Amino acid sequence: MILADRPFRTLLSREILRFTRVWVQSLIPPLLTSVLYLVVFGVALGARIKQIEGIPYLEYILPGVALMNLVTGSQMNSSWSVFDAKRERYIDEVLIAPMSDLQIALAYSLGGTLRGVLMGAGVLLVGAPFVGIGVAHPGLLLLIGALSAFTFSALGTMAGAMATRIEHISFLTSVIIQPLAFLGGVFYSVEMLPVALRIATLFNPIFHTVDAARYATLEVSDLNPYPTIAVVFLLAVLAFCGAWWAISRGPNLRY
Amino acid sequence: MTNGTPALKLEKLKKSYSTGVLALDSVSLEVGAGRFFGLLGPNGAGKTTLINSIVSLARPDSGNVEIFGRDAYREFREARRMIGVSPQEINLDKFLTVEETMLYHAGYYGVPKEKARKRTGELLERFALTDKRKQRVNTLSGGMKRRVLFARALMHDPKVLFLDEPTAGVDVELRYKLWGYIRELNHAGLTILLTTHYLEEAEALCEEIALINGGRIAAQGTNAELKERYGAASIEEVYLKVVGRDTGG
Repeated sequence: MILADRPFRTLLSREILRFTRVWVQSLIPPLLTSVLYLVVFGVALGARIKQIEGIPYLEYILPGVALMNLVTGSQMNSSWSVFDAKRERYIDEVLIAPMSDLQIALAYSLGGTLRGVLMGAGVLLVGAPFVGIGVAHPGLLLLIGALSAFTFSALGTMAGAMATRIEHISFLTSVIIQPLAFLGGVFYSVEMLPVALRIATLFNPIFHTVDAARYATLEVSDLNPYPTIAVVFLLAVLAFCGAWWAISRGPNLRY
Repeated sequence: MTNGTPALKLEKLKKSYSTGVLALDSVSLEVGAGRFFGLLGPNGAGKTTLINSIVSLARPDSGNVEIFGRDAYREFREARRMIGVSPQEINLDKFLTVEETMLYHAGYYGVPKEKARKRTGELLERFALTDKRKQRVNTLSGGMKRRVLFARALMHDPKVLFLDEPTAGVDVELRYKLWGYIRELNHAGLTILLTTHYLEEAEALCEEIALINGGRIAAQGTNAELKERYGAASIEEVYLKVVGRDTGG
């Protein structure tokens, strides 16, 4: 019912139109950055590291780089979309339409999810020819990718709805998400870390998603991937509740 | 729509802000179906808060809002479908073209695609926007944006139209054109609630007027009733007497 409702579908299609209309700035630059990661970390650094857990370094980091791109892409998409709509007040058109706050939060979150998944898939597609990578469990990869993208897109929706200044959005991206992504085991195995850092990494949600994506792609992981799916599912539910609450109660929305 | 059911019914609507300001102080109001109703008052009197409380952009502390008998909060889908809003501030989605603005708006209100396309063609024609239909809204002039806002508010065929300062910042020619169109809509049965700073606009268009000041309805009646009650020759005189009296001026 919620998903079949025309108002909801319209907002979702508007969200998709938004990032496809500005694809030169929303899809290409992050993809290029990821290719740079692969070149710098994979080709240059990979010549020294050779292998991790029996996997060539470039192949080892590819799923993580794709996941990192997916996470940042989905979070940035919805946070900017909601914040922009709020700042320029065109969100009012949506807020007064016959749609529930839950539908509004879901449409923004799913729009960002789709962009994140497209960006993650883009990195895999661009990187695959260099490493000849195959995907061991495609269904699992899609599930973990979609859940991760939804989680961070919902967080972005919440951030966009709560933000009152542009700096709040940049803060989330550059001070929280980016460091977590870099420290999320994209470029190394946690087994290579001292015990204290290894334990700290377990509290990083991006680590769990990267690790599960690596398992789905290469069948190599630091943790058992199946409990990770449950963890990411729980995170997705919590993040979406936050997004729903923020659309309903965020500052400068319905006052 | 339904005989005898008011288009808009407000009961003891109260709204305060976290700053302690009481924006609406127990406002009760009824607007009959098909009426042209004006809401006048000085800046900060509570006009926009009142409209926002009706269209659910503001959350009233207490009180009831009904649109043609439908509770604006408990039956929000039905109530909101009947409301069209042309806001004071231009709030067009910058990612869309003029035509998309219409079509997406229709979608937000559940209008089927074919019907929406037909209605878009009619409204763009009516507001002389057909040749701009493929243009992004953020590239339009101020007057054109105002016309798009107006057309957008009518896309889903509302039963009650809220016009919040619809002619603010538009040139005289467009103002008279909009007046003509608003009158036409009202004659066709659409209930209109207008807020305006231009008192002559309210006098020319509205059958009934409420003056709001300090979050309360200070006076209400038809043009003739108000003029008679306050011994005034014009609505402007009534306004000055009521607002001046309330503010001790």
